[in-house]
Amino acid sequence: MDRRCPRCQSRIEHRTPFSTEMTLAWLIAGIVFYIPANLLPVMHTSGLLGEEDSTILGGIFEFWRAGDWDIALLIFIASVAVPFTKFIAIGLLLFTVRRNSRWQQHQRTTLYRIVEFIGYWSMLDVIVVALTSALMQFQMLGTAEPRPGIAFFCAVVVVTMLSALSFDPRLIWDRRT
Amino acid sequence: MNPILICRDCDTVYRAIPLRRGDVALCRRCDAVLARYFGASVESGLALVCAAAIFFAIANLTPILSIDIAGIETKANIWFAVRSLQQGWISVAAFGLAFTTFLIPAVQIALLFWVLLFARLGRRPPGFGPIMRLLHRTRPWSMTEVFLLGALVAIVKLANWVPITAGVGIWAIAALTAVLALLGRCDPASWWSIAPAVKT
Repeated sequence: MDRRCPRCQSRIEHRTPFSTEMTLAWLIAGIVFYIPANLLPVMHTSGLLGEEDSTILGGIFEFWRAGDWDIALLIFIASVAVPFTKFIAIGLLLFTVRRNSRWQQHQRTTLYRIVEFIGYWSMLDVIVVALTSALMQFQMLGTAEPRPGIAFFCAVVVVTMLSALSFDPRLIWDRRT
Repeated sequence: MNPILICRDCDTVYRAIPLRRGDVALCRRCDAVLARYFGASVESGLALVCAAAIFFAIANLTPILSIDIAGIETKANIWFAVRSLQQGWISVAAFGLAFTTFLIPAVQIALLFWVLLFARLGRRPPGFGPIMRLLHRTRPWSMTEVFLLGALVAIVKLANWVPITAGVGIWAIAALTAVLALLGRCDPASWWSIAPAVKT
């Protein structure tokens, strides 16, 4: 039956249909995309010091070695810690909901809200690479260009956000028999 | 009879009570925010939307960052950043960036303007229902604040190598982030309640 809200005409559902299935599908896609995002270079720089391909982890390491530990930490949080937190947290939520668990319902709901809130900050590296490539266009001194890793990383952000948005937190509180 | 509120995270049902300035209603079972005090009038909302539109225009028309080496200057703002990602199939990232930092904020500002303009005239705007649903749907996808942080990281990253300066655009982005946060705080659910004339 198709019930709709009399005020805004959105469909009224008791629970989001196929919530866990969609969440799991997007989560798997996110984990799969995360592998090339880290293995492939995200940026190619060429200049007086020669040519170089850099990966996300390589970039963090470079900042750390150069003494910019704060930037290294920021990029580490946005590009490594946030995606991993999302993978683990969504995995945990799916596992417990599938098992009909009543364990820590309150904390799991909070965990869901944290995942929702931190999701889009991972876009940081995509923006930094794009801005760097736009600015470093000096034929003599140096140029920077994006490389495929950044497209995979962008896909990770979008797909993990879709995964979190597909999850219906009300399932945590349901007592199904 | 007070209206009914349903927690979006755990489905607990409540009777709403009037909120005073600064009040936030939390779900007793799961701590989700049920409702916030909403002091904005249609007029102040409209003023904020106009401010957002102006800041958005400035951010897109002026450079956010620029580098000047011996008279050769490069500039960057949202569109330059998007264009630099347009290479072969990496363009999917350009699409993602354009969508989240340009298209979504632009659509949100335009739709809120449309809704509030009609509310100011005391009329129900054409397409009110679909517009409110679209505003609700697009909420998680606006990434203006992430772009601001990205610009700051780019400054620190490149400052060791080249003379990089921040332009007017970066202030516009910062102001846009603040105004959109003020407007976003009042989620569409609150906008339903401010204009009795536009309700069904």
